[in-house]
Amino acid sequence: MTDEAAVTQEGRRAADAPGLDAHLRLEDLVDRAGLDELCRSFLELFGIPVRVYASEGDLLADAARGHEICAYVNTLTAGGRACGATVSAVKANDGGETGDAVHPCFTGNAYRIVPVDYDGRRIGRIIIGPYLPAAVAEVPASLLQIDAQIDPGRARSLLAKVPRANDATVNRMSLHLKRALDLILFSGHKALLTSQMHLASVRESYRELEEKNRKLQDAYDRLRELDRLKSTFLATVSHELRTPLTSIIGYSEMLVEGIAGELGKEQREFVTTIHEKGGHLLALITGLLDLSKLESGSMTVNLRAIDVHELVRQVVSTLTPLARKKGITLEGAPPPGLPHLKADPERLRQVFLNLVENAIKFTPAGGVVSITARNLGVDPGDVDTSGFALLAPVHAKVEIRVADTGIGIPAREKARVFDPFYQVDSSSTREYGGTGLGLSIVKRLVDAHRGTVHIEDNVPQGAVFVVRLPAAAAGD
Amino acid sequence: MQLNFAAREVTLKLVYYGPALSGKTTNLRSLHELTSERSHGRLMTLETRDDRTLFFDMLPLTFRSDESGMSLRIKVFTVPGQVLHGSTRRLVLQGADGVAFIADSQIAETENNAASFLDLRANLKDLGLAIRDLPLVIQFNKRDLSNVRTDGEIAALAQRGREPVFSAVALNGDGVIESFLGLLAVTWSKLDAEHQLARTLGIKKEAFVPLAAEKLGVTRPVSELLAKCVGGSLEFVPGPEAKP
Repeated sequence: MTDEAAVTQEGRRAADAPGLDAHLRLEDLVDRAGLDELCRSFLELFGIPVRVYASEGDLLADAARGHEICAYVNTLTAGGRACGATVSAVKANDGGETGDAVHPCFTGNAYRIVPVDYDGRRIGRIIIGPYLPAAVAEVPASLLQIDAQIDPGRARSLLAKVPRANDATVNRMSLHLKRALDLILFSGHKALLTSQMHLASVRESYRELEEKNRKLQDAYDRLRELDRLKSTFLATVSHELRTPLTSIIGYSEMLVEGIAGELGKEQREFVTTIHEKGGHLLALITGLLDLSKLESGSMTVNLRAIDVHELVRQVVSTLTPLARKKGITLEGAPPPGLPHLKADPERLRQVFLNLVENAIKFTPAGGVVSITARNLGVDPGDVDTSGFALLAPVHAKVEIRVADTGIGIPAREKARVFDPFYQVDSSSTREYGGTGLGLSIVKRLVDAHRGTVHIEDNVPQGAVFVVRLPAAAAGD
Repeated sequence: MQLNFAAREVTLKLVYYGPALSGKTTNLRSLHELTSERSHGRLMTLETRDDRTLFFDMLPLTFRSDESGMSLRIKVFTVPGQVLHGSTRRLVLQGADGVAFIADSQIAETENNAASFLDLRANLKDLGLAIRDLPLVIQFNKRDLSNVRTDGEIAALAQRGREPVFSAVALNGDGVIESFLGLLAVTWSKLDAEHQLARTLGIKKEAFVPLAAEKLGVTRPVSELLAKCVGGSLEFVPGPEAKP
């Protein structure tokens, strides 16, 4: 790469940097209407036209009142030609290196060309005029000789109407115009830089956020992958554990039944323990398997319309023996006329068997476990009131409550009991048994049905598990 | 640096960096006061209501080398020092030819100075630049306060570092021109070496800083001003390769 190429490339990079303004243009820094107004106020003050041109020659502001002499000269063929030539020459004059330039007109009038510099660069010019310099006393010969048709008397009277100005006045005009314009340019430049900077800042912040988002997304994807691996691992291990366990349970059961010969009292007691603990282990492993299936999303739910009464009847009949054994009253009497649920019958039975079994477990003898249900219609926590007529039919829910008179659940534990392996305190495991998986499975199954489950207090004693499930639409 | 051969213009961007309230804007204000009317434009400040710099301040300095006919345009920027304006600092740094690091001399500010310097380094890295490739001077400002590091201590620190170090009381203008010319010297030395400016622009390297000083209206001899520098070199020497 040649030196020059290197420099240009460097320059290009630097040009992207805010604030260096490689090409600051007059028209970028001023508001045209405002500039026009400024020129107009000078026109009003001095009666002399003011125009502002950008370096490239674009007219940016034009405050002019045509002089009659100009209009008259332009009615003459040669006059019009000469006028055009003068105007072109004035426009082409960029004011020279330093200071103002004066361009005379053949009519005796003059133009003042004021260069506009900003930040050390020429960016445009102000043209003041035409005005009649105070020094001009007579109608100049250049005007009288411009066209054979000219009427000297008329020319004299019209020329006299052009505003006269001495050098000092035009100097003052030029100075103040320049000062005012400089201020406007500075404010414009400042606003331009501020907005450029602002934009760049926003872009930069956006870039930073994007970067962070990307990193978060990567981390999230990695965690999800790990989670999936964990669930798969759990499912495989659970399955492998279950196979030999089936043999342990089966053979110990056969031993208890005396198939391999009568057992002594102590032997029978030992084998019964093996059989019971085997059953317990199997429940634990099955729970884990269910949980991992639910978490990996591989458990499918077959949604069908389900009659709540039938569901409750099945649950009550299954668990009545257990309740009776503990001396607990189990009742389930949903009111008539409930809409059907949209759920997987197998899974839903699992949910309520779990909840009711749990309730029985934590309720002392003489207590009551009850299952009630009601039609919620639209869950008030689910939708706001707008569009009720449209949303109610699709958001209709049925609430099923499993209430016990047991030990209750402290407020701070109410959300956590649904976490896997969480138990209110580990002593409860010893006293009541259980794997700590039941409620987390319930929660995930209810979630899979797009329902909700939460816990309320059963006044004065116990807890209520409240399950809300979507009702089946009329057509289901 | 922007080099426009057609318009015979060189534009430099110098950035005053440093922790919040170390006196970057004050340096620019003093620089504005100390340079001639002809050579400086209006000082542009974009600040919040409590006088803290929001985006940046900018002081344009312009002069012509009569001999070569080149126009030199120097844009001096400050960055906002407050920690939260990180992205703005990075934007202002973009395209910088040299950096003056304005440190607060108070001993209590030692950590803030260091943190701001690390921030400078990190921002340069984000822009794909290494600090060792950037012309840099350090100014210890607020020398008039009590509980500051002594001159001896600063000199000792400067001797061991590689950047030129200046002392200043920017509020009174002390050390402001010295630091500025020092930065200009190091920056020009680097650009001259990279782009053979002496040849392309017809400005001899040794002549540049005295020319700039004269055009900016500095009356004291340049050699005297630059002699205020302790430690470091005003010739740009790229730093050693960073250890991987």
